[in-house]
Order: sequence, then C-alpha cells, then structure tokens
Amino acid sequence: MKKNQWILLAVSVAIGLIWIFLLQSTILLNSFPGILQIPGGNLATYLQFGSSPAFQVFWVGCICALLTWIGVTWSRKPRSSIQTRQMQPMWWLAAGLLTIFGWFCLFWFTILQWQVTGTSPVQGGPNYYPVPPGGWVLLLLFVVLDVVLLFWLPTLLATPRNYRLVVPGAVKLFGSR
Amino acid sequence: MRQIFAIGVGGTGAKCVEALVHLHASGLLADQDGTPARLGVFLVEPDQQSALLTRAQIAIKRYAAMRNAVGRNSNRFARGELRDYGQWSPLTTSSGAITLDQVFPKAVLRTKAPGVAALFDCLFPPEEQSAELEVGFRGRPPIGSAVMSRIDLEQEAQTGHWQQMLNDIQTSAGSGDPPLIHLFGSVFGGTGASGVPTLGQLVKNWLKGQGLTSVQVQASLLLPYFDFEGRKDDDTGVHAESRNFQLNTDAALQYLRNSGTSCFDRVFLVGSDTKARYDFSIGGTSQANAAHLVEMLAALAVRHPATNGGGYAHVISRSNKQFVSWDDLPDDEQVGEAIARAARFAVAWKNNISLEINDAQKVSIHTFISGAPWARRFFHLGSREDNQGGRPGIRDQQELTIQSSIDEYCDTLLQWLNQLSSNLGSNFRQELFTASLLVPSDCYENDLSRIVQGKARPQLPEASDTVGSIKVRMDNLSNELIPHRGMAGLADCLWTHVV
Repeated sequence: MKKNQWILLAVSVAIGLIWIFLLQSTILLNSFPGILQIPGGNLATYLQFGSSPAFQVFWVGCICALLTWIGVTWSRKPRSSIQTRQMQPMWWLAAGLLTIFGWFCLFWFTILQWQVTGTSPVQGGPNYYPVPPGGWVLLLLFVVLDVVLLFWLPTLLATPRNYRLVVPGAVKLFGSR
Repeated sequence: MRQIFAIGVGGTGAKCVEALVHLHASGLLADQDGTPARLGVFLVEPDQQSALLTRAQIAIKRYAAMRNAVGRNSNRFARGELRDYGQWSPLTTSSGAITLDQVFPKAVLRTKAPGVAALFDCLFPPEEQSAELEVGFRGRPPIGSAVMSRIDLEQEAQTGHWQQMLNDIQTSAGSGDPPLIHLFGSVFGGTGASGVPTLGQLVKNWLKGQGLTSVQVQASLLLPYFDFEGRKDDDTGVHAESRNFQLNTDAALQYLRNSGTSCFDRVFLVGSDTKARYDFSIGGTSQANAAHLVEMLAALAVRHPATNGGGYAHVISRSNKQFVSWDDLPDDEQVGEAIARAARFAVAWKNNISLEINDAQKVSIHTFISGAPWARRFFHLGSREDNQGGRPGIRDQQELTIQSSIDEYCDTLLQWLNQLSSNLGSNFRQELFTASLLVPSDCYENDLSRIVQGKARPQLPEASDTVGSIKVRMDNLSNELIPHRGMAGLADCLWTHVV
C-alpha cells in the first residue's frame, strides 16, 4: 500500500469515527425530530441508549470488515485481472452483510434486548422503543449511509495494488489518469 | 552503428544464426556505447527443405516482423535492426544439377579431359557421384567442397541473393566503422565443413579485390556435439554417419592449421564432449534437431572483442564436468542478464500479459480495467477508435497486430530456450533455466522466480518476483517513465521492469 493510501485510510476512518460518535446523533436529534419522535418517550434518551449503541457496535463491525478487506487484498497475489475481478462480488457481499448487520444492531437495541430482558425502555410503555414507521425508514437509510462512509469510502481510497479499481465507482473516479 | 553480417552454412550454421537472432533480440549485439548493432543474416544451404533452415527462417521472420510492428514506439525492447538476405543454395549455380555427376558432367569430362574424369572417379565412388544433393552434402565434406569450389563470388555479386549483402558490406565498410563478417557451420558434417572454409576464403578474396581489408572475417566452427540414434533405411544411400564426425573434424582442423588464415582472421571452436542425441535423418523436413547450448556459445563469439594479438583460434571450456552454469558463459554477467531478461519477458508476456489483452477483447473495457489498473497507463478507456492522450484503444486492430507479432516471436524464443535447456545429453545438466517453465501456457503464469536459475536470476525476494508485482509497478510509474503507449509501450515497459 502506498503512503498516500495509508493517509487516506486514516483520514477516512477518522471521519467515520467523528460521524458515528459525534455528528450522527446530533443530526438525528436536531434535523429529524418529527420523524423519530417516540410516542410517550424522549427522543434524546432513545438516541443515547437505543440508536447510538447500535451504531457504535455497527461501527466496530464496519472497521472489522474494512480491515479484513484491506488485509485480504493486501495479501492476495492475483495471477490475472479475472482473478482480481473475482473480489468485486466479495465486496458487494461484504457491503450487503454490513447493511444487514447494521439493521440487526438497530433492531436489537430498539426491540430485541427489551424483549429478552422483559423490561420496558419507556416507563409504562411496551417492552421496546416504539419508533414510528417513518423513523425506522430513516434509521435504516442511515445504516446504508454509514456503510457508504465507513466501508465504501475507505476501501475506495485505500484498496491496495491491483485491487484498487475493484471497488464500485473506482474506475469512474480514478480510472482515467 | 556496428554492422554484423552473419552467414550460416548448412543445418548447424542455420541453428547458430537462429541463436544469434535470439541473442540480438535480447540486446546482446551492440556497439561500445550501447547502440544496438545492425545484424544482417544470410543462410547457405543446399537442402531447401531442411527443417533447421525453416526454423532459422521462422526466427528471423518473426523477429523482423515484431521489430517492424513495434517500430519506433520502444526505447529498449526489440531495438536491434535485422536485415534478412534470404537463403541461397550452392546448387542453384549448377544449372539445376542435383547430383555430383551432373555438376561435373562425366561425359563432357571424359571427352575433354579424360585425366580429370579418371581423377573424379578416383575421388568419388559411384554412390557419391549419383547421390541426390537436394538433402545436402550427406555428411561428406569432399562432395561439398567440390560443389562449393565452383562458386564465383564476383559473378554472384552481380545478381541474386549475394548481391544485396555484398553491396551492404561495401557501403558499411565505407562508412568508417568496418563491419564484421561472421560465418557459422559445423566442421564434422557435410555442408558446413566444406562450405564455411570455402566461403570464408571466397569472401576474403572478394574483400581483398574490393580493397576492403579492414573488414574482419571470422567463423564459429562447431566441433562434434551430437550423435545420431536410430537406424537408416535400406534406401537411404550415402548419408552422414556419426562415426565419421571425428575423422571429418580432424581433417578440417588440419586444413585450418595449414590454410586457416586465408579463410578467416580468427576462428572460434566450440564443441561438447557430452553428446546430445538426435534421431537419424538424412535431411529435409525430418531433420528437426533441437537447439543446443553449443550453438548459443558459437553465436556468442560474435560479441568477442576484436583485440590485436588475441590469437587466431579461440576455445571455451566449462568449469564442471557434470553441468554448465552462467559462470561458464563468456562475459557471463552481461550475457546472463540479457538472456534472463528475454526468457522472463517471453514467459511474462506470452503466459500472462497477452492473455490479459485477449481477456480485454471479451469483456467491457470498464470491467477489464477494474481488474487491470495497469492497462490504463497504455490504453484509453473509451470505446471509440480514436487516440486519447497518446493512448490507443486496447481493441484497435493495429495494436492487436503488434500483440500477435510479439506473441509469435515469444513462442519461437520459448521453444528455443526450452530446447536449449533440455537437450543436453545423458548425465549432464544445466543450471541456467527451468526448462519446464519455458513453454506457452494459458494458466496466467505469475511466478517468475524459477524461470532463470543461478546468478542470472534477479536478486528479488521470491514472493515479489511475480508478474503481478510488475503490473503494480507499471501502474505506479510516473508518466515520464512510460515513454511509449499502446501495445509496443506496454512491451517496452515490461521489458524494462521484468528484471
């Protein structure tokens, strides 16, 4: 991997870190209160104890997937462009699994963990956060956005050697030097 | 520019010229400042069906075609100019005669010079007189000498195959940098043993007559290095026999000792105590003797510097009886690097890069580039035929023609290298190449570390000595380090970075 790729990898990971741990909850709280407002509950509390832990666990998953991708593309020695291109479906698989994992994290922290413990996050309410349907759509879309930011962007900028144009969009963006 | 005129006489001579063409392609024929020499090749062979002649012609034509296709779009790859003067049969001067008694009509001799006719009968038994010479001089130097001695070079210089070459020698000698004329042939067979000294003498006399005394005439004379196995048919007639090889050699060396300086300014004697085994063949298309290391050594003699007082006859020996290694080659550092480069290039190109180009014809350009980022340094991504930033399209017909010419030459080179490394004789080995890797393959060969053995192998860690690593390097090169684009630029870049 070239020096500038290491730098770009570090920068994109740092951006992802700031996004997940600082910016995302603030944006959800301030820009989409109408869509996410929980009936009889406090949105800030949900963001703190429901969605934020979900996104943080999801972030760990993304970092693991990213490091695995970099490790695999770094260590493999493809004999041909055909072999190199065989990593393209692997990338899509990784991105798809990450999205599902992100949705599962949200589902766990919003519903499942309360169902398992038999407790209610909202006093006197059901044993899950009653996120409205529009809120669910918004959160699921944020998961997709996070996959773009935490997986696509770093892999686009830092995939090494002959694999560097395998990531979707790389040929369009970097292919015509 | 240094000019070398190589004349291969007979089957072995043709094989040496084939070797010389490959050495030229490897960049080993150059003048002192590194400018590639101009090589002119001429083949003398009465056996026009000879498989050895055909093979040499294929190597010559394929290298010339590749060089022509690459043109000026290369800085290092295929830079050596090659001029093919064709092939010539000494029998063509004998008004269609194909037997000795047609070359020297006995009826005429008996009438006009009965004494000569009697001498003719005395020197040549009836089966030699009537043997058809279309397949060569049948391993009998006296037959060849009789035919060759009738050549009138003054007359040949006016027309035909000799004319262009002798004109070029004259022109080159007048340019201030005197050319080198180097003859190749065996001294133990028929055509070479009789033809090389005779032609050497004729050329020397011709040069003297033209006042071109600065032109050096030298020869690589091959001593026995193979035997025949298998048996002749009953109707084979007069034929080369390996039991005569030593006798022929002794006679040739004796002749050289007495009259050698009238034929050559110096000679290089190369042979082998370990004999390769070839199937018996009288000549023609069945004489498909594999290439041999001795022929490469004979061709390397062209590189031997012309020093005053260096002696007339040069020989070479190896340090170990059981095997040959790079240390045994003359000027081994430079020669080893150049041949290693050529071998590694041929494998990397033919067994990987060219397959990639073929793959690019089957999928969309964007799909191809996504797995081959290096390719976009040489080819543009558009589907249009036009040239973008000096980069042609990977599907342009002109580019595919260049690819095919490089492919064909690499096939020839690989075949030669493979035979060279596997045709050794019993209980003898070489530590130069891994023969099994020097074959065309569709397996996208990636590992280059085992192609060349010994000290000529580039000092790279084995894990990174791959075509994949070269692709990464090509992808990361600055524009200044890629002087040429397209297929020729790609080959040039691969040639530069393959070692």
